[in-house]
Amino acid sequence: MDDKQLDKILSDIDVPEANENARKRAVNLAVAEFEQYQQKKSKNFQGFPILARLMDRTNQNDRRDPMEKASRKKLVYGGMATAFAVVLVATTSLYQLSNNTVGTGSTVTSAELSKVQFALNEEKSGKNFSSIAENITTAIPSPWRGPSDKKAQKAETEADFLAGQSLEMADAEVASPVPAAPPMMAQKMKRERLEEGRAQVGSVIQPAPADMDSVSPRYQDEGRDKFEKAEINPFKQVSEAPVSTFSVDVDTASYSFVRRQLNSGVMPNPDAVRIEEMINYFDYNYPLPESREQPFKPTVTMMDSPWAKGKKLMHIGIKGFDLQGERPKSNLVFLLDVSGSMNAPDKLPLLVNSLKMLVDNLNEDDKVSIVVYAGAAGAVLEPTAASDKTKIYNALNSLQAGGSTAGAAGINLAYQLAEENFDEEAVNRVILATDGDFNVGITDREKLQDFVEEKRKTGIFLSVFGFGQGNYNDHLMQTLAQNGNGIAAYIDTLSEARKILVEEATSSLFPIAKDVKIQIEFNPDAVAEYRLVGYETRALKREDFNNDKVDAGDIGAGHTVTAIYEIVPVGSEATSVDPLRYGDKEETPAKTEEASDFDGEYAFLKVRYKLPKEDTSKLLTTPVTTANDAGSIKDMIENADNNSLMNDIAFSTSVAGFAQMLKDDKHLQDLSYDDIIETANKTKGEDPFGYRTEFIQLVRLAKSIDN
Amino acid sequence: MNEQEDNALIARCKKGDARAFEDLVNKHYNTIFKMAYKWCANEKDAEDITQEACIKLARGLDSFKGKSAFTSWLYTLVINTAKDWYKKNNRHRSAEDIETASIDSQSDETLYAKQILAAVHDLPDTEKEALLLVHSEGLSHKEAAKVLKCKESTISWRIHEARKKLGAKFERNARYG
Repeated sequence: MDDKQLDKILSDIDVPEANENARKRAVNLAVAEFEQYQQKKSKNFQGFPILARLMDRTNQNDRRDPMEKASRKKLVYGGMATAFAVVLVATTSLYQLSNNTVGTGSTVTSAELSKVQFALNEEKSGKNFSSIAENITTAIPSPWRGPSDKKAQKAETEADFLAGQSLEMADAEVASPVPAAPPMMAQKMKRERLEEGRAQVGSVIQPAPADMDSVSPRYQDEGRDKFEKAEINPFKQVSEAPVSTFSVDVDTASYSFVRRQLNSGVMPNPDAVRIEEMINYFDYNYPLPESREQPFKPTVTMMDSPWAKGKKLMHIGIKGFDLQGERPKSNLVFLLDVSGSMNAPDKLPLLVNSLKMLVDNLNEDDKVSIVVYAGAAGAVLEPTAASDKTKIYNALNSLQAGGSTAGAAGINLAYQLAEENFDEEAVNRVILATDGDFNVGITDREKLQDFVEEKRKTGIFLSVFGFGQGNYNDHLMQTLAQNGNGIAAYIDTLSEARKILVEEATSSLFPIAKDVKIQIEFNPDAVAEYRLVGYETRALKREDFNNDKVDAGDIGAGHTVTAIYEIVPVGSEATSVDPLRYGDKEETPAKTEEASDFDGEYAFLKVRYKLPKEDTSKLLTTPVTTANDAGSIKDMIENADNNSLMNDIAFSTSVAGFAQMLKDDKHLQDLSYDDIIETANKTKGEDPFGYRTEFIQLVRLAKSIDN
Repeated sequence: MNEQEDNALIARCKKGDARAFEDLVNKHYNTIFKMAYKWCANEKDAEDITQEACIKLARGLDSFKGKSAFTSWLYTLVINTAKDWYKKNNRHRSAEDIETASIDSQSDETLYAKQILAAVHDLPDTEKEALLLVHSEGLSHKEAAKVLKCKESTISWRIHEARKKLGAKFERNARYG
């Protein structure tokens, strides 16, 4: 069977004219549906005042909106499917529990059923759920309704159909024993979802999270996570833009969030993937600077691109020196969100346990205070020495969640406390832990940002720890942490909390350099095109590099930062843009003469940084030459015997490859999940904490979800 | 299909303009119908699928982000609708369902085409959709990969598989016919 024959037969399928009546009918139905959907949509919008208030005033109609809606929608369908599956269990167990021995096929009136549910509820779960039970009296699942109830039938079909979409997951839910409370909740959720979701079923339907660990009887906000949308960096012509500038980023929030999504069986929202944060999640063994005068040293390696033929990667690794034993005093103010939405096992309890771990590892003379905010803000623990652990523990244990979220008032109070105890010698830091938004007080993101920035200048830094999902406002977290000279981390499990607060406590808490900017000038004789992998949200203007007023990322003690450029060498066939026909050709020979001094130089790397307490920046420079060439990944692994550096570099490129696959694989010509697994497996090294092994598991997961 | 025109219409739809939506559906009805017909090769089913797809479009338009051309997004929607429709109606496509409007004279050549068409419709969905997009709609492997949300290599592989299967079935015919 050859191509042409097939082409001919298949393209010659004679499609009959569409029937005019059928067309009119379809158009009318579709328009009616459209109008109904629009109405629902506007209603729904009024139903989410929180969302409405949080829109950034300056760009109401920005491009994030469709993304957010789309992601919300996915979860809604998933939620419906889960709800339906759980409802099956609920109704079955109701059969068994109630004295009504109803045979299959006979009908039960809604009133009867709700009575049973209500009674059962009070008996089983006590007062906590009685209010929920009231809510569900009308939420009898459609199988109980008479056949004449058309709406219900339609809803049922939809749910049926959705359940079919995520059959595997539904099976898992049905098979597992479900406590009495979740089905109740699920029914309520289902009703809400059906009302708003019925009109919303679109073309993209994804299986719901099947993470049984995170199924809780509490209200779980879904799909309202906010991410900033950033297009992946394109290839740039060296002839047009020879200089590339960006700010470092040591955050790791994106990796934990992606991990959580993958573990619950969904591909992450591409906007949630920040490639540099995925790469920087891991610690790499880059060489340290010889002297303490200089806080870090860049290590540059050139290698063949593992995902595109004819291209190379320029791998820049930076490791900050580690404070060994001599960690400075710290004055920490925990600013904790205890609003109602924090009432979930993966939020407040996890937060409390995380902070206990942190407090355990503080020095005796460190100071800790705790400010909480919900409907109002208040200090629960005045500044206390870390030696008084019982007092701190008691304060943490007394925390309870409830109320709305007046984050801004909390921030004011937290900074006030930090200022009162300001210690010149110490690291003064506010640590904000929250699951989402500030919806009371200063809700304007820019004002908050200005506030944090203002305070940063007084020497108080801000770090942000994110918890939970569903209403996670990643964008705001990032903005605040970046402007507050802090890190933004996402804590999804206790082991992640351990990693950030114990193992990496020194790097998370003690900066060794601030406003670290990187600038690369490419040699047009050696490099035709380049592309920075990741750091989309960290791009700086060329002139910002030398401007000390422009804020940039910080590096903590022992932090590693990795940046990867993909370049197309001059003469490679892999260029994406054809040379200009009318380009300036005459000048070229003269230029080569002049540039001969720079033979074998790919680029010139410049790093600017400030020491934590200084305001003027220092400059580090190094040329990148052919001497930095390390060959292909294969060569690197083979030559890596005693050189864990090469292994680490190869590992970081496999993380970069994976992150790009999740975000946007348009630059990946030749890379599969299996390639990534293979490289990562060979280069994971000792991996004492198992993070790299976990990474390989994630790739496997993604592979199976993606299929 | 004018892409700019589409995008303008879609922008209006997203603001809730029902008129714009009506225009959009009218404009693309034939495209959708053609795609649906190619999928099921049966006029009645194609009409049903098209209707379903139009309704889905009403609710799903919000998830169109303008990342790709509207028509390729539409391909995805129609293929998904068609698959769901078959699932829901629990029907198996059979050679009998396939109308052969194109084949009037039962010459050897057209008979052969008819057989191939029937065989194409017996292929697994994944291979069938790849084959139709590439060989019937004339998309490149890359474009098809975007529509079907998989890798380019996956498309190539599926088409290769499909061709192998068709080849095995018709090898004899080809040799003697």
